[in-house]
Amino acid sequence: MNQSYQNTAPPDLAHLQATMRTIELACSSIQMHVNPSAAEATILSLSQSPQPYQACQFILENSQMPNARFQAAGAIRDAAIREWGFLSTDDKKGLISFCLCFVMQHASSAEGYVQAKVASVAAQLLKRGWLEFTAADKGTFFSQVNQAVAGSHGLDMQFAGIIFLESLVSEFSPSTSTAMGLPKEFHDQCQTSLELDYLKSLYGWAQDAASSVTNRIIASDSAIPEAKVCSAALRLMLQILNWDFRCSKSTVEIGRRGMGVLGVKNDSYSARKTECNLVQPGPSWCDVLITSGHVGWLLRLYGALRQKFSCKGYWLDCPLAVSARKLIVQFCSLTGNIFPADNGHMQGQHLLQLLSGVVEWIDPPDAVAKSIQNGKSDSELLDGCRALLSMAAVTSPLMFDQLLKPIRPYGTLHLLYALMSEVVKDIMENHTEEETWSWVARDVLLDTWTTILMLLDSTSRDALLPSEGISAAANLFALIVESELKAASASAFSDDNDADYFQASITAMDERLSSYALVARAALDATVPLLVRLFSERFARLHQGRGICDPTQILEELYSLLLITGHVLADEWQGETPLVPMAIQTQFMDVVESENHPVVVLSGSIIRFSEQSLDTEMRTSFFSPRLMEAVIWFLARWSCTYLMPHEESKGNNLTIDNFKERQPESELSKKMLFSVFGDNDQGKFVLDVIVRIATVSLVSYPGEKNLQELTCNQLLHGLARRKNVRVHLLNLDSWRNLANAFTNERILLSLNPVHQRSLAQTLALSASGMRNSEESNQFIRNVASHMTTYLLQLSVKDDLKKVAQQPDIILLVSCLLERLRGVASASEPRIQKAIYEMGFSVMNPILIFLDIYKHESVVVYLLLKFVVDWVDGQIIYLEAHETAAVIDFSMRLLQSYSSHNIGKISVSVSSSLRSEEDTEKYKDLRALLQLLASLCTKDMVDFSSEPVESHGTSISKVVYMGLHIVTPLITLELLKYPKLCHDYFSLLSHLLEVYPEMVMQLNNEAFIHIVGTLDFGLQHQDSEVVDLCLRALKALSSYHYKETGAGKSGLGSYASGYEDLAGNSQEGILGRFLHSLLQFLVFGDYSNDLVSAAADALLPLILCEQSIYQRLANELIESQGNPAFRSRLANAFQFLTSANHLSSTLDRRNYQKFRKNLQSFLVEVRGFLRTI
Amino acid sequence: MSDDEHHFESKADAGASKTYPQQAGTIRKNGYIVIKNRPCKVVEVSTSKTGKHGHAKCHFVGIDIFNGKKLEDIVPSSHNCDVPHVNRTDYQLIDISEDGFVSLLTENGNTKDDLRLPTDENLLTQIKDGFSEGKDLVVSVMCAMGEEQICALKDIGPK
Repeated sequence: MNQSYQNTAPPDLAHLQATMRTIELACSSIQMHVNPSAAEATILSLSQSPQPYQACQFILENSQMPNARFQAAGAIRDAAIREWGFLSTDDKKGLISFCLCFVMQHASSAEGYVQAKVASVAAQLLKRGWLEFTAADKGTFFSQVNQAVAGSHGLDMQFAGIIFLESLVSEFSPSTSTAMGLPKEFHDQCQTSLELDYLKSLYGWAQDAASSVTNRIIASDSAIPEAKVCSAALRLMLQILNWDFRCSKSTVEIGRRGMGVLGVKNDSYSARKTECNLVQPGPSWCDVLITSGHVGWLLRLYGALRQKFSCKGYWLDCPLAVSARKLIVQFCSLTGNIFPADNGHMQGQHLLQLLSGVVEWIDPPDAVAKSIQNGKSDSELLDGCRALLSMAAVTSPLMFDQLLKPIRPYGTLHLLYALMSEVVKDIMENHTEEETWSWVARDVLLDTWTTILMLLDSTSRDALLPSEGISAAANLFALIVESELKAASASAFSDDNDADYFQASITAMDERLSSYALVARAALDATVPLLVRLFSERFARLHQGRGICDPTQILEELYSLLLITGHVLADEWQGETPLVPMAIQTQFMDVVESENHPVVVLSGSIIRFSEQSLDTEMRTSFFSPRLMEAVIWFLARWSCTYLMPHEESKGNNLTIDNFKERQPESELSKKMLFSVFGDNDQGKFVLDVIVRIATVSLVSYPGEKNLQELTCNQLLHGLARRKNVRVHLLNLDSWRNLANAFTNERILLSLNPVHQRSLAQTLALSASGMRNSEESNQFIRNVASHMTTYLLQLSVKDDLKKVAQQPDIILLVSCLLERLRGVASASEPRIQKAIYEMGFSVMNPILIFLDIYKHESVVVYLLLKFVVDWVDGQIIYLEAHETAAVIDFSMRLLQSYSSHNIGKISVSVSSSLRSEEDTEKYKDLRALLQLLASLCTKDMVDFSSEPVESHGTSISKVVYMGLHIVTPLITLELLKYPKLCHDYFSLLSHLLEVYPEMVMQLNNEAFIHIVGTLDFGLQHQDSEVVDLCLRALKALSSYHYKETGAGKSGLGSYASGYEDLAGNSQEGILGRFLHSLLQFLVFGDYSNDLVSAAADALLPLILCEQSIYQRLANELIESQGNPAFRSRLANAFQFLTSANHLSSTLDRRNYQKFRKNLQSFLVEVRGFLRTI
Repeated sequence: MSDDEHHFESKADAGASKTYPQQAGTIRKNGYIVIKNRPCKVVEVSTSKTGKHGHAKCHFVGIDIFNGKKLEDIVPSSHNCDVPHVNRTDYQLIDISEDGFVSLLTENGNTKDDLRLPTDENLLTQIKDGFSEGKDLVVSVMCAMGEEQICALKDIGPK
């Protein structure tokens, strides 16, 4: 079938030369930037022309211009991938071997990038044909490469061969492969096949290549070309060890059992910043990697290199040294069942061997650090640290410590500590803003500690850490705190105003603090008393220096101490109740009196210090906003764990078997920790203090947004969130005072409105902790009445129009709306009634305000958001008559909004104000769509006593009505906002899927608008939006198909043809969508994930419009000039509708069959249809 | 809430006031603010501190609502800022005169003839075209600190 091509283009030299000149011209004009778009088009036309191989090969072999050769190689790749389906096997093999030969023959060429490109083209084509070539075919290619790599044709070819293998391996590993328009299964199969059949031999070749040149490198004193080959081979080995080994994964579990603690640690913790992948190639690799003495060779090679660093041509960071070190570090992560189940003996030997090499780079730490400060490169130290990290990830802490014992008088943990202390010292001495080697080393070493200690933190700590390790951790923590305090006092007067940098550094700081906390928890006996001492020193100095010297430095030190202590004592909470950290629970067994428990002492001293902020004089002199932020943050974090802990969490820990036998003592110590701040007087006292501190921070720090945010969102919200605490909150005078201040005092109206919302929500939440629900509802009414009353009174004022526009009134209304919104979002079943009443009472004012403030977009948005939150929280609980009222209100709201905004054109001289206005409109509309979506949920979840229909309400009708009102406002321009677009289409596809019959009740205009947006959505960039549109299409067409099958009219005239707004007659929408969907599938650019959804939409469309489908298919077939293509296409269409016994029903099995058919159809035809 | 009630009454008669004081910390994005004696819409607010342990201050970027110029200001966040009283009124358009003035119908039946056509090309053509087509047009006039400008246009259906 390919004859027609091969004969049409006889090797016409003149023609080939002309093509070459054109391409060369285009390349040089791109380089000189003369009309680049035309030049790009010329180059593109080469790769898009049918069968351009001859021309490309001609250019590769004859062009003097490397860029042209580069482009020609790219064109071969593009064309071959596209035309792969109808190239003959010989052609395919011919192209690959051409590329391979080209790489080999021009191995000495100076333009490395052209060689690399051609090699990668060869690799891609080989992968494209991987599953169809026979083993013999592949063998031919590989033996050619093998010969080259073995070095039988000289160094250049050896290098070229290795470069080819590098591209091949990267092409086959999923993260770096080229998609080539093929499904994931193809890539998976290729990956497995290469891993099983070739990867190990490739590694062996690289190994042989490297060792073949080693002797010469070691013997010579200056740079020789062999070094290049050797470092390429090392890179290839590194790349292969980075492979995501799959075939061994399933057996890892078995291997693990044999090795006990030496097994692979769970990678469930990803707190580490440094990448550290475990290498688990499986047992078959044991001979190559372990028993062959490969590691010894590698270490000897690097050892020999170290001797040469003073020679010309070798230095610490020369490519060969870098790749050798990287490979050594990679070997440290080797684990899994490549090691036999011998209790970790062999792995221990392996690591010991590596460590004895690596230790030269980092030991003794003080000398190493000194020489780096004197200008030596830091790379050996950093790589050494990374090696330690890798080892820590594959060993138990005890084993890790033992590793160094045979070669040094101390353990690895000691070395780790010594290294870390040198690094910390360097950071303290050379305080700079720039990232230096010591920063990087600190992060890597901290990660190493984290890796070691994480395991201790999550499981029992029975003798997992040797006592030397514990003392190392204690010393380390002391050093860390010292350095942090020093850094804090040094930076106390610096003024970093860069907000972005600040944010980023907080996150980094947080990670670092969690690592510190792990270190501290490994040696609590020493670290908690240390913290107690440091705090009391600072408190004393603060009081002594009162009025005499500037406290700023001490304040900053206290700030850091609070952050560190918060991390040590308690874990972060994100929606969950954190337990007391295991290490703290099981420590301090011998403490008998709760007052002497070190953790209690530490907590108590901080709380007493915080309490001093209640005193006005103390507050103004010491409690700066920043210190107060740390206090509030600490109290929030601490109280979640220690204050009135949950009953269950008390009992929970007893289930761990390890502690059973020691229960009596550990029980006592734990009980003490839980009961000190429990439901007793002391707990209540501390809760009261905390609430008073929070109130002070809201009232006495006007305008401090960060502080207010922490107080409202973290501290108070965190308290009211917990049931145990809620019960006590409302019995506290301080809490009632806060609620009173909130409703009556002006000062809290000057909080940022967002924080007022949060505070209102918190107060409402606390109400659900009251003993009976009547009381709870009454509390809500009390809190809300000031807002509703004011809004009601304002809304009926005669001069409302005039006063409403005053800025102070606008501010007040906005604050009250935010507060209402806060209460509304605290919907709990217990207080639902009061919240419903609250919203019900302001329904009228809201409609009035929507009218009055129609130009005040800020207020409009708040109004809408309140309604959205209120309806969202209430709808599922409402009784039928209440639902009817809410729905009626929502519709009036929609109508009013629509009448104010439809046809409105705003202008402003400033473009940024114009875009602001667009954004505001988008946010409004999004809120309206959310309102409709929450109305929809009533049909799904309903807790009321009678169905809504009993009151004559039909949710589907209502939501369609709403959509009818909203859609005209949603222009295609606005759909460019991704979130709005997403909300709109998810609502639309939901409606069409659940109530397709309602679509017929829309009027012509609305229907056409919806169809228009669907059309728009199908062309959208975001595949999720396209997916939603496809679901909508499926719903529409399958509805029509089923209805017409049952003898009804279905979509009626919309399906058969209708008149559009301008009165022109249009073909039926289903036919139109069938057309655009086919076009999209065959010619469009989309992700493979969409094909299934597209198949689900296409099947019912085809069934509905069979004749149109036939016509479209025929048109497509006829449009092919080439008879071979025509017949292929016709066959493919035939296959699409008849293969796999496809029937004309719309059931699950049939959909599934059709999905498969479409998938193969697309693979078959897209290649040649898309570009020809 | 009697406190607020009182406050509300007292301001009602001072309706002519051009600006109102408001704490800087409560001014949000999209609100209004007076910077260098010009009414502005706030497009950006950020906070920073005066020294690590100092007090917060707000940094405002505003855009003059009449001439579109960008203005910036830094105010301690517990201090007061001036917020302009921005009033918008809808009028029905009754005529466009030769010299570039528009004639508007006020609520009490009088005409208001002291406003120029907007300079914005888009709005200008919309007004002129719409008017010549005989559409019923309502224009919104924005007024703050003694200045007035047409800011929006709405078609309320053909005559």
